[in-house]
Amino acid sequence: MSKLYYSCEAGGRYFTFSSLALTFESVMVVPELLTTKKPASRKHLGLLEKKKDYKLRADDYHKKQNTLAALRKKALEKNPDEFYFNMINSQLQDGVHTAKRPKEEAEVTEEQKRIMKTQDIKYVEMKRVAEAKKIERMKGELHLLDADRKQKNKHTFFVDTKKEVKSFDLAKQLNTAPQLVDRVYNRPTLKTLETKTIQGAADPCSVKKLARQRDHQYRILSQRIDREKKMFVISQKIQTRKDLQDKAKKVKVKKETATSAAIYKFESKRKR
Amino acid sequence: PKYIIPDCFSGFSPRGDRGGRGGRGGRGGFGDRGRGGFRGGRGGGFKSPDGGFRGRGGGRGGPRGRGGRGAGRGGFGAGKKVLVEPHRHEGVFICRGKEDALVTKNMVVGESVYGEKRMSVEEGETKIEYRAWNPFRSKLAAAILGGIDQIHIKPGAKVMYLGAASGTTVSHVSDIVGPDGLVYAVEFSHRSGRDLLNVAKKRTNIIPIIEDARHPHKYRMLVGMVDVIFADVAQPDQTRIVALNAHNFLKNGGHFVISIKANCIDSTAAPEAVFASEVKKMSAENMKPQEQLTLEPYERDHAVVVAVASPPITYTCE
Repeated sequence: MSKLYYSCEAGGRYFTFSSLALTFESVMVVPELLTTKKPASRKHLGLLEKKKDYKLRADDYHKKQNTLAALRKKALEKNPDEFYFNMINSQLQDGVHTAKRPKEEAEVTEEQKRIMKTQDIKYVEMKRVAEAKKIERMKGELHLLDADRKQKNKHTFFVDTKKEVKSFDLAKQLNTAPQLVDRVYNRPTLKTLETKTIQGAADPCSVKKLARQRDHQYRILSQRIDREKKMFVISQKIQTRKDLQDKAKKVKVKKETATSAAIYKFESKRKR
Repeated sequence: PKYIIPDCFSGFSPRGDRGGRGGRGGRGGFGDRGRGGFRGGRGGGFKSPDGGFRGRGGGRGGPRGRGGRGAGRGGFGAGKKVLVEPHRHEGVFICRGKEDALVTKNMVVGESVYGEKRMSVEEGETKIEYRAWNPFRSKLAAAILGGIDQIHIKPGAKVMYLGAASGTTVSHVSDIVGPDGLVYAVEFSHRSGRDLLNVAKKRTNIIPIIEDARHPHKYRMLVGMVDVIFADVAQPDQTRIVALNAHNFLKNGGHFVISIKANCIDSTAAPEAVFASEVKKMSAENMKPQEQLTLEPYERDHAVVVAVASPPITYTCE
């Protein structure tokens, strides 16, 4: 319930609610005047300050004073030689401190760190190969028929004359229905459409159900591919760290990033 | 639970790991019935004579010891679990169920050739089995899904297949041409030729030829006239090889389907330039190109060119 502060004087009373929810009940239960009235002669002086009001005012005043004092002290004790790199690497932009150069991405993500610390390369590699095999198996039955293709393939027809180029009609060339032309994975010929039928679960209810199951399979596949990629990066990073323990001379060719291990070039040395 | 997808790396934490393995172990342990439960109560819905991929363990002789684990899978898809639509190319189908696959009608029911998935559909009394045809492995499958106009490989056709390798794609071609057709599968390498022979044992319409395709005279006694030559040899002189074979075995007005890997012809030139130069070479060899299709997203820098044998120029004396 909302708390109700009130101070009263002659004829008038006011209340403030600590919460905005002004309910009907809270208005109704306001008790009768509890304090003495202010004499009418002093009415022109305004509201009468009570202890409670004084306390609020005083606390606020002291808080401000303390803050001011602390700031003053800080200013007095300031080290003029103090320096942080952030002072030169950042600047004010529209009154906001911003880094001059956007922060570089972490070379090793937290997840990678965690796994590299606790697992050895053989285990990671074993997990990755298991994943790769599962991907291969799933790809054998999920052929991206309806997939929105990023890389489009290119289909070229060779004709003899320029006239044929002008009058070229894909649906006519393929002998299929015009509305099927975009359905690249299967554009049945007109004859096929007339003579052949669809077998199996062709009712709309099970078609819908199968589509849902198919989507789910594709989702699993993409997750597996993702996971395999991540594990590949981790095992490469572990391997690089191992290779670095070699005493041979080496030069860093490429920096490590979150998605790839660093590349070093090792000086070749003849083994005797 | 239906599908447990662990958090990205939950497999690494001791508990998550144990959980994941437990799931897998459960599936294997229950065998067929466990699998049924996994897919939502389809227990006795399918009958697979061997209850799994016989082809996986036996056919390829894979020493990876996966036969045991695969025992609970395969042969799935009884009755109304899939929808099969006929494809533009006769003998090819699209299967849309939980899977989303290009398939061919399996000629040897109950057998997988290279561990591919099989799915069967019941139409009244008869049960038809299909095999998934992976476009990530087969250029021909990639071309079909890419929307090629004609492959000229259809039921009853006689096909010469150059560069048959282990016979994975050949097995699907043999499915398409059916018992009335023939596939002459030419492969030079003995090692992959061995697998090819195993495939041909089960499929009577495949005639395996372990010879160099550059020397067609060595196998001319085995091969009759063919309707179409499919070539996936990935050699710089591919066009010449195809032309040689066409000269010996292709009937008048026969067709070519040639898969070109840009890297194998010229690894320095741009793929488009390589394709163009190959098409030009083909025109010079009495092949008239009809269409060309690149194989994204299944293969990078690959193209399939379909051509027709143009009749030789005849001169009449007056």
